[in-house]
Amino acid sequence: MDADESRQVRVRFVTKLPPPLRAPTTAIAVPAELSRMGLSEIVNSLILSAEPDHQAQPFDFIVDGELVRMPLHQFLLAKGISAERVLELEYVKAVAPKKQEQPLPHDDWVSAVDGSNPRFLLTGCYDGLARIWKDGAVCTQVLEGHSGAVTSASFINKGVETDGSLHVVTGSKDRSLRLFKFDTSVTTDSPKQIGAYKFFPGHSSSVQSIAVDPSRNMICSGSWDTKIKLWAVEGSEEDGDSVTVKKRRTNSDASGPEESQLEGSASSTFEGHSQCVSSVAWPEQQTIYSASWDHSVRQWDAQTGKETWNMFCGKALNCLDCGGEGSSLIAAGGSDPVLRVWDPRKPGTLAPVFQFSSHSSWISACKWHPSSWYHLLSSSFDGKVMLWDLRTAWPLASVDSHTEKVLCADWWKGDSVISGGADSKLCISSGVEIA
Amino acid sequence: MGRPDGEDNADLSSDDSPWSDTAWSEDDDDEGSLSFEDSGEGSGLDSDDGPEEDAEDAEAGAESDSSEDEAGPRNTVGDVPLGWYKDEDHIGYDIDGKKIKKRDREGRIDTLLRNADSDTNWRKVIDAYNDEEVQITKEEAKIISRLLKGKTPHATVDPYPDYVDWFEYDGKGHPLSNAPEPKRRFVPSKWEQKKVVKLVRAIRKGWIKFDKPKDEPDYYLLWGDDTDTADNKRQGLSYIPAPKPNLPGHEESYNPSVEYVPTQEEIDSYQLMYEEDRPKFIPRRFESLRSVPAYEKALREGFDRCLDLYLCPRTRKKRINIDPESLKPKLPSKKDLRPYPRTCYLEFKGHSGPVRSLSVEATGQWIASGSSDGTIRVWEVETGRCLKVFNVGADVRRISWNPSPDKPVLAAIVGHDLLLLNAEVGDEETQMRTKQLLHIDESAPEDDADDTKPAVRWVKHDKFDGITLIHHKAASTVEWHSKGDYFTTKLESGLREISSISIHPGGDNVIVGSKDGKLCWFDTDLSTKPYKMLKNHSKDITNVTFHRRYPLFASSSEDCTAYVFHGMVYADLNQNPLIVPLEILRGHLSSDRRGVLDCKFHPRQPWLFTAGADSVIRLYCE
Repeated sequence: MDADESRQVRVRFVTKLPPPLRAPTTAIAVPAELSRMGLSEIVNSLILSAEPDHQAQPFDFIVDGELVRMPLHQFLLAKGISAERVLELEYVKAVAPKKQEQPLPHDDWVSAVDGSNPRFLLTGCYDGLARIWKDGAVCTQVLEGHSGAVTSASFINKGVETDGSLHVVTGSKDRSLRLFKFDTSVTTDSPKQIGAYKFFPGHSSSVQSIAVDPSRNMICSGSWDTKIKLWAVEGSEEDGDSVTVKKRRTNSDASGPEESQLEGSASSTFEGHSQCVSSVAWPEQQTIYSASWDHSVRQWDAQTGKETWNMFCGKALNCLDCGGEGSSLIAAGGSDPVLRVWDPRKPGTLAPVFQFSSHSSWISACKWHPSSWYHLLSSSFDGKVMLWDLRTAWPLASVDSHTEKVLCADWWKGDSVISGGADSKLCISSGVEIA
Repeated sequence: MGRPDGEDNADLSSDDSPWSDTAWSEDDDDEGSLSFEDSGEGSGLDSDDGPEEDAEDAEAGAESDSSEDEAGPRNTVGDVPLGWYKDEDHIGYDIDGKKIKKRDREGRIDTLLRNADSDTNWRKVIDAYNDEEVQITKEEAKIISRLLKGKTPHATVDPYPDYVDWFEYDGKGHPLSNAPEPKRRFVPSKWEQKKVVKLVRAIRKGWIKFDKPKDEPDYYLLWGDDTDTADNKRQGLSYIPAPKPNLPGHEESYNPSVEYVPTQEEIDSYQLMYEEDRPKFIPRRFESLRSVPAYEKALREGFDRCLDLYLCPRTRKKRINIDPESLKPKLPSKKDLRPYPRTCYLEFKGHSGPVRSLSVEATGQWIASGSSDGTIRVWEVETGRCLKVFNVGADVRRISWNPSPDKPVLAAIVGHDLLLLNAEVGDEETQMRTKQLLHIDESAPEDDADDTKPAVRWVKHDKFDGITLIHHKAASTVEWHSKGDYFTTKLESGLREISSISIHPGGDNVIVGSKDGKLCWFDTDLSTKPYKMLKNHSKDITNVTFHRRYPLFASSSEDCTAYVFHGMVYADLNQNPLIVPLEILRGHLSSDRRGVLDCKFHPRQPWLFTAGADSVIRLYCE
């Protein structure tokens, strides 16, 4: 009994959360055996004493930039922090999806998803169609035209609507990219079918990944034919459209009325990879990152097309995203169950700065949180989507809503995780509170 | 006391010293036990002595001689100083124990008078011990005087007689024998010849050696183990000393201290050790010597010893102490040989029967598989999605992609026939080309499976726009002809039944898998015999394959495993290929006693596809 009482740590709870969630900052002694849950209870009861109508909720606790993921005394021992002085515990809201929305059904495997627009969801599917889902519930538009599976899809003007319509680009296994435009005001029960207004052939093998540049004028695509091509969204109007206005119709295309399409050609091609370019990212105007099956991550100068940085990582890579602090960290996953984060600013080392290895199969997608520097998600062929925080090596949460391989995942509206998989569903897990 | 006169006395005293020690008398100082007249006058006396005196002397001499010889000393007091009896009236005791009375001494004057009266008186000697006067004869006096002079006692003895040569020299030459020298003195000795022959033979045969062995040092090991030195010195058959038993320690006591007695756990742990490593003796505690049981192995050991004695000569067992670890070849660690396939991350499910064969497209984007369920499936490697299903209706035994990436044509052996199919992957132009290719009869890509047979008919396959080549005989395998790379080498594998073969991209190395589970690596530059024979699989090897880019090769077997090896071939011809087993890939389930039916490497990644009889294709990645 005495021993139990003696194992106490004096802590002070601090937070950056808004006032209703502020606990008094006086130092109190808590048992050292407490872990995250016990500490959450204490904070909740502290807040409850001040705010009677407070709803209890889980918190995460940060000590010296590290999330507490074990009993407090173990944590202190592991970190070598003295238990004598008052421990300052910063608490943040626990990051975990609270609610599973109704999954959005598809006809085939969902291979691409984009959640960069807060109102609409964009999904690409193996049946060659891309779909627009309004508010994550109703399919309003079906973007058709591809004869192969859509491997990637992206909004071009993320939040901004130009004259009531949004532009979308999709890349497909039929070796082409297509641009679509859809009206945001359409509210019909049955989804409206929309054809592409622009068509970018040029890759000799399936397009694996596309990325839109920050200024929304250029599209970059990585393909199985080991090339990265840049395409101008509007540029073709100057030189391309007058020359190659051509009516194209693929034989698989069943839809009768087809708008005439503009055919664009690549403004530049980056060659350097020796195998399939599986993922591209365009975080800044000047730099493009690409990940490839040839076990390398490369950085390209978008203007000159020169390769400015090349990192060998030893694994075939499937996905890549830039984010984190100043959006300069690179997260990539591939043909092994480890999600790795590199810092290209660190010279002379190829060792990843963070490694997250709770998955059990290939990682199919990884995305940084659009606003948080610490949070990222990863999806894997083991059917799980995991949320990660750079401050701990354990996953914050694991979404198990898929029954099959998860092929794509993204954040939506900053507080939801959307993921599509081989079970032909788009799952939405909402209520992820990231402060 | 009868004493000679003064000058005599003085004369005697000068001569006294040699006499003092003699048996005659000790104390002559006052009693003057010895009075004796001598020498100059003695000799003169001799000449003066008349014949009557001589006769008397002779009589006395005879008398004294006999008396001294026959009669023992009268006094029996023993060897005590006579001074002890000085004040007594006796001088001792006779043999009967009676006192011997001292005689009355005559005075000096009487003595002088007597001496003057008789000229023989000087020869009288007083025996103080027996207290009597002894008359010394003339002869005796003469002997005494001669002795005093250092002469022989008797005058007749000549100490230096003339040498009488008793040998008769007349008629005798100097050598003892004057006989002529015998013949044998002049002919070589037969015996010597024999001896020489013997020696020569000994020298020739090396029994005698002239370079003498070094002188052994004279010292020896005082405390050394004498068995060793004896062993060293010994020539010929070696002596095997019986092993010395260790001296018994505390643990061999019948009641050892507790720390020597192993606990039950320790005794149990001995069972886990190897038989040889187990301790020979396990200490046990007994309360008293009485409770110690008999030696349980006595009978056994006695029996063994008897066996030893009449069956087995004790021979020295040549045991070499080699660390078994050192016998293992030095292989590089598996970490350094990465990447190689290790874990299964993707499964390609969809077939309903055993997957007989699979083939990877040249770029590595797709694989095709043929199954016993009568279907050919084309899969996307990246996601494991089945893109196409060709239902050909018969057992697909073998499938192969065209190695050229711009002609995605699948060749499959369906039943007895060869089927060429358009896989319908790739861009439109390629597909158009492929279609054209497959429409034209006879000019279709050559295949070297049965091209010599005239009995091949090309028939258009209606269903899939393909071509069926109908053979009369069952085709067993199909491979695409790749620019005429031929090899002709006869290899002696020593294997029972060869099931599969794969050629290293370098061309000089071949691996052969056999139906008895053996895998042979042939280095055709080295020999026609296998360079290495690996017996890993417990069942038939179904396929062996080399990786085109990485130094890897793999074998799949009916025992549901696939083995991955590192097979490095060096450009340096002096260096043999390095073969390191890396990984056993498990995961396939046995179905109908068949396991893994095919294995293929990804052309660009270090990944291995395995086709199982459990109708699953697995992809193993690093």
